[in-house]
Amino acid sequence: MSLSPASGIGRFYKHSAKIIRFVRQGCTNRPFYHIVVMERRKNQHQPVIEQVGSYDPMPNDNNERLVALNTERIRYWLGKGAHMSEPAAELLGISGLLPVHPRTYMTAWRNRKAAAEAEPVESAATA
Amino acid sequence: MSLFKHIRQLNALQCLQAKRQYSPAALKSASLQYDKDPQPLFTDSETQRLLQSMTQLQLDKVFRQRTVPDNSSETKFMTTLQLEKQFVKTIEKAKHLLQMPPVVKIKQDTERIISKDPAMKDFATTKFVFTDITFGLRHSERKVVVRDVDGSLSYASLDTTKRMNQLYFPLEGRKSYTPRMFADEQLLQRCLDEHKYEFILDRLLVQYEPYETEFHNISARVYEHLNESKQFDLLRSTRHFGPMAFFYAWHSCIDDLLYDMIRNDYLHNAVELIALSYKIHQVPVDYKQTLSQLEQLQPTPAERAHAELLSCLKTKDELGIEQEIHQAIGKTEQDFTADELSLKFIEQYIGSEHSRKKVQLELALQTLKEVNLEKLQLYQGLKKAHGVQAS
Repeated sequence: MSLSPASGIGRFYKHSAKIIRFVRQGCTNRPFYHIVVMERRKNQHQPVIEQVGSYDPMPNDNNERLVALNTERIRYWLGKGAHMSEPAAELLGISGLLPVHPRTYMTAWRNRKAAAEAEPVESAATA
Repeated sequence: MSLFKHIRQLNALQCLQAKRQYSPAALKSASLQYDKDPQPLFTDSETQRLLQSMTQLQLDKVFRQRTVPDNSSETKFMTTLQLEKQFVKTIEKAKHLLQMPPVVKIKQDTERIISKDPAMKDFATTKFVFTDITFGLRHSERKVVVRDVDGSLSYASLDTTKRMNQLYFPLEGRKSYTPRMFADEQLLQRCLDEHKYEFILDRLLVQYEPYETEFHNISARVYEHLNESKQFDLLRSTRHFGPMAFFYAWHSCIDDLLYDMIRNDYLHNAVELIALSYKIHQVPVDYKQTLSQLEQLQPTPAERAHAELLSCLKTKDELGIEQEIHQAIGKTEQDFTADELSLKFIEQYIGSEHSRKKVQLELALQTLKEVNLEKLQLYQGLKKAHGVQAS
C-alpha cells in the first residue's frame, strides 16, 4: 500500500461521478482514514484525485479524536457536484461544515436510550 | 474489545493526572509581571531605537560559532568593491539576527461557543477536534473547532489550537510536549545557575509564543536571576538584550544594569536606559534633548560596526596619525564631549529619588571620570607630540 501525494495521481473523466469518502490506511487493529476525492466507481485503494483530510478514529491521550479537513478543497469539490459517502457526510456534519447528518441524531438517541436503560440495572445491582 | 476500550480510557485518565503534576504551572511563578499591556510602549519607534542602541552590534558575537550541525564558512576571492558590498549585506544580516522578540501581554483564553445541539448529546464517547488544513494559512488564522460529547460546537482553547498546529504543521525545534527543562523546577534552576541564559531564552522563544503565560513566567525568572548574578555581558549583542532592558525599566530595577554599563564605559547606553525608564514611568524630565545631542555626536551601532569592517581594508599607512591615536586610546574627541554630556545626565539621575543604589553608582562614576580624565590628557599629549592640529 503505497502513499500517493495529497494532490493525487488518480486519472478521472471530466463528467464521471466523484465522491468524498474515507480510505482506510493504518494497519490491523489500528484504523486510520484519509478523506479523499475519487471516482465513485473505483476501489478505495486505487489512486485518488485528491486527499482533502484525515481522520483518526482512536482517541488520543487527551481523549479526543482528531480530524483534519481541507475545507477550501472540500467546498470546491462539493460545488463541483461531488457525492459524499455516509461516514464522510456524518463527519462533515459533526464538524459544523454541513448540517448535522440524521444518522448522528439517530446514534445519539440510541446511545442515550441505552444509557438510560443500563442505569436502573446498575443501581439495582449495587443496592 | 470493550475491555480494551476501558483500559484505554483509564490510561488516558492517568496520563492526564500525570501531566497535571508535571505541567509548567507547577513551576514557581515569577514575582514580577507586566500589570498592563506593554506592547504599545515596546513597539514605539523611539523605544525600539533606544533598545537597539543598547543591544549594540558586536559582529564577532552575532556571527559566533553556534552549537549547530553545520558551522562551516565559505572562502571567496573578491575585489574591494565586492567586499564593500558584502560588508553592507553582512550588517543587514546582523540586524536581522538581532531582531527583538515582541513583549506583549498574556492572552486570555475565552470560551467561544458556535452552536449548542442538545439532540446530539452522547453521539460519541469522546470529543472530536477538527482542524482546518487549508493551504497557505498562517498559524494564527487557522480554525480549530471542537465538538464536545454534549453536542456543543466551540472554538478550541489556545492550548488545543497550538497543539493541533504543531501536529499538522510542525515548527522546527518545537516539541509537542513540554520540554523537561521547562517542566522540572530543578533542571531550570540548574540552567540558571550555570548562567545559560541565552540558551534558555532561545529555547523559550522556540517552544512558546510571546503571549503565553509560561513565556512570561520563565522569561521573568531568567531576567530576575540575571539581575542578581549581574552577568549582563552574556546577553549583550543578542536579541534578548532589548526585552531584558525593557523588563528592568518597566519594573524600575535598572540600577544593576546601569552600574554594569558604567563599569564597561557604555555611557551613552546608560543614558538611553535612564531615558527609557523615564519614558515608561512618564517622569517629567526632558531627556529628548540630551538624546538628540548624543545621537549627533555618536554613530548608531550598525554604522559603528560598518566602519569597523571598512577599517580592515585600509593598511596602516593609509590610516594617518589621527586614526592611530584614536585606535590607541579607543576614543575620539567627539566621544569625550559625548561622555561629558552623558555624565551630566547620569549624575542628575543618581541625585534624583529614582535611583536605589546611589553610593555604588556614584563610586563607579567617579572611577570612570578619573580614567576618562587620564585618557583625555594622554590624547591631548599624543596629539601635541605628533603635531596634529586641534580641529
